[in-house]
This record gives sequence, structure tokens and C-alpha cells, in this order.
Amino acid sequence: MPKKLGIAIAALLIAAVFMCGCTGTSATGETPKRTLRIATTTSLYDTGLLDHIRPMFEEKYNAEVLIVSAGTGKALEYGQRGDVDVLMVHDRAREDAFIDGGYGINRRVFAYNYFVIVGPDSDPAGIRGMQPEEAFTTIMEKGEQGVSGVVFVSRGDGSGTHSKEKAIWKSAGFDYAADVRGSGDWYVEAGKGMGETLAMASEKQAYTLSDIGTFLAYRGDLELVPLVDEGAILLNIYSAMQINPAKYPEINSTIARDWINFLISDVVQQEIASYGVTEYGRPLFFPSAGNWGKIGVTQAECEDPIT
Amino acid sequence: MNEIAEGLLRAVGLIITMNPEVMAITARSIMISFTATVIAALIAIPVGAVINFSEFRGKKTVINLIQTLYALPTVIVGLFVFLFISRAGPLGFLRLLFTPTAMIIGQTLLILPIMTGLTVSALSGVDQAIRDTLHSLGATKVQFLANVLKEARFAILAAVAVGFGRAISEVGAAILLGGNIRAASFWSSTRVLTTAISLETSVGNIELSLALGIILLLVALVVNLLVTTIQQR
Amino acid sequence: MIELQGIYKRFGEKDVLRDVNARIADGEIFALIGPSGSGKSSLLRLINLLDAPSAGRVLVDGVDIHADRSRELEMRRRMGMVFQKPAVFNTTVYENIAYGLRFRGVPERAIRETIRDVLSVIGLEGYGKRRAKTLSGGEMQRVALARAMVTDPDILLMDEPTANLDPVSTETIERLVHRINREFGTTIVLATHDMVQGQRLAERIAVMMDGTFSQVGTPREIFALPKDRDVARFVGIENIIEGVVESNDGGIAVIDASGVRVEAVTPLQTGVKVCLCIRPEDITLGYARKAGTSARNVFPGKIVAIRPLGPLTRLVIDCGFELVSLITWKAAEELGVQEGTEIVVSFKASAVHVVQDRT
Repeated sequence: MPKKLGIAIAALLIAAVFMCGCTGTSATGETPKRTLRIATTTSLYDTGLLDHIRPMFEEKYNAEVLIVSAGTGKALEYGQRGDVDVLMVHDRAREDAFIDGGYGINRRVFAYNYFVIVGPDSDPAGIRGMQPEEAFTTIMEKGEQGVSGVVFVSRGDGSGTHSKEKAIWKSAGFDYAADVRGSGDWYVEAGKGMGETLAMASEKQAYTLSDIGTFLAYRGDLELVPLVDEGAILLNIYSAMQINPAKYPEINSTIARDWINFLISDVVQQEIASYGVTEYGRPLFFPSAGNWGKIGVTQAECEDPIT
Repeated sequence: MNEIAEGLLRAVGLIITMNPEVMAITARSIMISFTATVIAALIAIPVGAVINFSEFRGKKTVINLIQTLYALPTVIVGLFVFLFISRAGPLGFLRLLFTPTAMIIGQTLLILPIMTGLTVSALSGVDQAIRDTLHSLGATKVQFLANVLKEARFAILAAVAVGFGRAISEVGAAILLGGNIRAASFWSSTRVLTTAISLETSVGNIELSLALGIILLLVALVVNLLVTTIQQR
Repeated sequence: MIELQGIYKRFGEKDVLRDVNARIADGEIFALIGPSGSGKSSLLRLINLLDAPSAGRVLVDGVDIHADRSRELEMRRRMGMVFQKPAVFNTTVYENIAYGLRFRGVPERAIRETIRDVLSVIGLEGYGKRRAKTLSGGEMQRVALARAMVTDPDILLMDEPTANLDPVSTETIERLVHRINREFGTTIVLATHDMVQGQRLAERIAVMMDGTFSQVGTPREIFALPKDRDVARFVGIENIIEGVVESNDGGIAVIDASGVRVEAVTPLQTGVKVCLCIRPEDITLGYARKAGTSARNVFPGKIVAIRPLGPLTRLVIDCGFELVSLITWKAAEELGVQEGTEIVVSFKASAVHVVQDRT
């Protein structure tokens, strides 16, 4: 009997070695592939855009792209610790701090879209069509008055979306920590990813702030509608930057640069412009090329390849 | 209700059609967790044996501590390993983060306590009469230890199975250390069943999540059937 | 030869063995009998080096086996032990029996032959491939015995080997014990709480009471002449009557037992407190004093209890003190005994074994 067990274990081990062998052989005999590690935010990764353009890059540059998706906070930490070569996030304020800290260089904006405030079709707080700040203020007032059904679900996870939410509160004249967080039952922190937060808002028939991509991907399963989707502050700018090789000399900075230049290349910009149209009837992102004025960044940051 | 039914159907479909991506994820899951289990067993069984066979002050405390660590949250294990193997960490130069190796390390550490603890229990479950008989038959120290282990083999096997079950079903360490990467080559990818489930859930692919969950359960079922068959022989 | 010299074993506060002394000759079957918990197992474990004595020595062929740890294994490998509860390893019968041989590095071929032979000796031919755990208690005990036997020990220690077995299995084991002793000249030390088994198997018996040997002797000595009241009670003498020596005339004493005067053979002098041990089968019953009987002790009494006991009937007779008598059913019928029947009991002075009462 122990013999049989031994055979079973041996078989599994052989299978494992065999699999390693299989995958290993593809690399031998050719120039070794370069590896690019990217940390990105879940809301970007979950749209599938990166997995869509990844093979094009891998083929063109004989590279292997490893993409790790996490909340913006976590992604920034991966970058700060030198665990990745490129960061792709959507939180200008923290990106600036990251760059000022000397961790990131060569930021390029490659896409943008808008956040939306979504909520139940019945819209108990009556925010439909308002400006974002006004909508938030109204939700808070109605929530604190105890108007039935007025609940706001926050990501509450330090993600880029969460940062955006805080920025809106600030712009509306509130101190997030003092006035908003923990101010009443109307304000709920999910502490989860965008998809789960949307699902929670749908279950609770509550309001939440979402990036458009995740919302569209999830829409079929949600009983939520976009209520506020206009306003400068809802602008959601995605940029990519290199981790500073001065901090971590082993960083693959050449391929990191290739990736960023690839993102702002015409081919990819066109892919971005059309991505999601077939599935959702509208694009999930707008390309940054040619739109720098509209989103308030410099042309260089959108269009100049890194040299 | 509909979702569950669809999930089941889809799972069956993915398994029957041998969907290459699902198969790769499943195979990777099994290999990573199996390797972690083998490594953990190679450590846990001797350590468990040492704890069981030697008498020392604080032995009870050590066992209690090990048992407490059964409840070790997977994310904490992941974070701990992350701090070591992240490039800024002491072992950063090895560049292990976001590799299957990192996941194996995490899972090994995760299941070490439970496998060690269960090994100790398995060995202390060997009747005193068996121990006396071995001594009486003239066993040397090594022969004695080997044969007590042999006598406890089924219970130890169960401990190993428990370890494998915990390894393959954990998600916290896998996602933190592996990064849930979907790459072109098999071993550059770190997407396993649990992290894929987590991802597919967050992008709203509920049926695929369920399907992957069912596959995970099937793997666990096969392992348990294997163990039971061996034990009943 | 095994010599036990002043052995003490202390567990916590309790002395489980107190000053145990004996010599066991080579090739002897030596039985330790005594009630459960009297220390028999503890003594066997000391001899088998599973425990060490708190004081005293165990010598095997003149060597103190506990003195030199480096020789422990060598000493132990000269012995085999069969435990009360046979522990079988979770594998086949064949593998179970092979353990001791494997430990000694015996070549596989020799193991195979030995086991084939021993399986037939223990009556388990064809059982080699069976899983040991599926065997009955008696079969397991035979396997345990075979396992100890195949290593060809000089000394075989057996701790209550038949305690949990049915009579048929017990008989099988006992036959094997005899055979091993005869054929291989193995010294056997056997613990049992069954004094009849001790009598059947042993050349000498040590009665163990409360951690020490109360008496060591041949079965005949033990059963006929128990040294004290406890031994007498343990070896199954039912009639133990307290009394005081009233007079002693040249070895024939008159003893006052609850006012009844009993004559008995003893050197004990006037005034000594004694116990009278009388075997039930030495007591004769009748309706009148028979003429010409040589019995010195004849007492009228009354039957107070009747109970069947296997093929016999057990009567309790009150003749000033209570006496138990065993008679056959047939005799009981012929006598027509009933509770309350007046009857005369008689026994010879030589049938009374007098021991000093030290309590």
C-alpha cells in the first residue's frame, strides 16, 4: 500500500517536472525574453484592456508582461518597494507625491474616462443631473436627516476611486475625516474592490461612486443607474510611469520605457478608443492623444515618447 | 438560483471541453499547492516527530502555540513573506515576488503549523502499547522512531491532506505574493483557482467564479477520496 | 539465571514494588500471581528494561541489566515480551511477526522460513497476508507470542497473556508456552492473576501481594501451605477461620475458634493468634458421627446456604463458625441437603493449615 502512495506521489512530481520542462523549452534556443512587471489598479485591470493589448506588446518586443492588479494604495506600495517596473494608476495627487518622493519618473497619460455617481433608479435623495459636489452634499444632508433609502457606499479602501471620492467631498467643502466618515448610518465603508462595492450598493439600493469601466462591466447584474456623470471633478485620468532606476538599479527600465511609449503610440491609442464598443455599445476609455487640453495636462505628458 | 444552475452547467462545460485556460489554472493550483505540501511535510513531519519524541520544558506551550497558529490568517502569512521577498526586503535580490515560488513559500509557511500540530497529534495517538512492543522487540532508537512514524502513517497522511486542502483553498497569500498574474507562459503566470475566483467575482463573472469554485471542490474531493482509499486499504 | 535483588519501584508517592527478591533458574517457568495492581506488570517491565528500578538490581547471568545503558539493547534483545493487551502493528500478520527479526537485521529469506514455521506452530497457517488488526483477540495474542518467539529469546516474559481470552484460546496459548519451554529451553516468566493457570504452567510460583513477594514456592507449597492469610485467600482457600492457640501438645494444637475447639497440626504455641485454612474439599459431611473415623474435628452444624457451582454444589454450614464445603450434585441429592438441615461436619487435624495471624 505505501508503495502505491509512493507511485502516486512520484507520478505527480513527474507531471510537475514535465510541465516545467514544457514551458521551459519555449524559452531555450531563442533570445531570452525580457520581463516587464506592472502594478495596476483593479479598476483598470478588471476592464480587460491590459490583457487585450498585452499580447501585441509581447510579440513586438519579445517580452513577457506580468500584470499585478491591486488597489491604488497597494500598487503604489509595490512601486515604492521596487517590486515592479511600471505603475499604472489613476490618482494624480498621489502620483505627484510618488514622483516628488523620487520613486517614479516619466509619467505619461494614456487614457481617461469619467467617474459616475450611481444609485437606484428611484433616486431617493433626488440627485439626478446635479453637479457631483452638489449631489454629494445632498446625499449627506438627506442621509443625516434620515430620509429613508439614502445610503452612500464608499470603497473605503484607499484606492484611486476612494481618493476621488474624498476629493469630491473636499471640493464640496467638507473635511472627509471629520464631517463624512463615521457621521451616520447613511455612510457605509465597504473596504472592498469596485465590483464588490457596486454589488453591495445594488443590494442595499444605495449610492456609490464608480469608475465607468467597472460599472459597465457589472451593469447586467446591478440594479443601479448612472445619476451623475458630468462635472470636471469626475474626470478619471489613467497614467503610467516608470519606477525610478536610480532607486532600484535592477529595474528593467528599458522595457518599462518601451511599454509606456507603446501605450501612447497611435496603434494603442486607437485600440483604447475602440475598446469595449462591441460589448457595451460605447468605449470604456478615451485616448489621451489629442485630448490633453480637455483633461488639463500638458501635451508632452500625453504625446511625447520617453527618450 | 439561476446563477447557481448556470454556474454548475458552465463548470461542467469547462471541465468537459478541457478549456485550456481553466486547465492551466487548475494544473498550476495543484502543482503549487502540492509542492508546498510536500515541502511542508518534509519539515512538519520531522519537526512534529522531534516535538513528540523529546521531553523538554515548555513542550505543552510549544504545542499550544502551534495550535494557535492553525488560525494564522493567510493574508498575514502573505504579508510577512512579502516583506521578506519584496525588492526592498532582505531577500529582495532573489526577485521572488510575483512568482509561483513565492506562492509556494507562502503556502508552505501557512500550512506548516497545522501539519506539524497534526503530526504531533498523530504520533501521540500511537498507543503506548505499540511503543512498548517496539522497544521490547529490540528496536534501536532509529528503528523505534521510524516504526512509530510508520504506525501513525495514516493519521500523518490525513494531516498532509489537511495541509494540502488549506494550501489550495487559501487566497490571501496567493494574491499578495503571486499577484494573480495571467502571462503568456505557464510558470510566469501566478493565477490559481482561488485568485482567479476572486478576480472573476470582482469583474462580475459570477458563473465562471462558481465554475472555478466547483473545480476547486472537485480537486479537494479527489484528494480526500485518495486519502480515504489509502487509509481503508 | 535471573536474579531479582531488593527491587523497589516508586511512581510518585507510591511504591509499586517493595523489596522484591527471587532467583529464576534457566529453563524454568516462573509464574507471578497476584491480584490486579499488585505490581506484576511493573516487575516484568523492569526485567524487560522498559522501566528502571528505583532501587535494587535485576541480574541476568550475573550482569546488572540496568547498570550500563550501552548494553541495554543487547540485554533486551535476549528477551521477548508478550503484553496483556496484544499490540499489533497496522500491517499484515507476516510483517508483524517479522518486526523483531528485521530489527536484528535477519536476512529476508531466513525471515520467510522462520515465519512460515512459526505460523504453523501457532496454528495460523495461511494468515500471513491477513491484516493483523482484523484478527480475533486470541489470534492476535498468538501473533504477539510468535513475534516474541521468533527472535529466539533466552527469556520470555508474558504479562497476563490470556487475561482477555476465551477458554479455548487460553488453552492454545498455554500449550504453546509449554512447548516453547520444552523445545527451546526458554526461561519463561509469566504474570497471571489466575492461580489455576499458574498452577498448570509453572514450576514455581511467586505470590505477589501489594508490591512484594509474599511467598515463593512450588505450586504444591503455595496451594497446600499458604504462608499467610492473604496468600491463602488469594490461592482460593475459602475457609479461613480466626482463632487462638489454646494448647499445643507435641505439634497437635487445640485452637479456640469462636468458642469451638479445633485440633490442628502446628508448631505454634499457646496464645498465638492464628488463621485456620481448610480446603472445602477436605470437609466431610454426614448426618451422624461415623464410627471409626479418624477425623479429630467433628462438629454439628446447620446448612445456611446452598449454591450450585459448576459441577459441584457449594454449601455454607454454620458450626459456630462458618465453613464452606463442596460436594457433588449427586452427593447433595443423596444427602438431601436443604437450607436449615442439621448436619455434622468433620475434617482431619492434618487438613487444617495453620498460619500465624499477623493482622
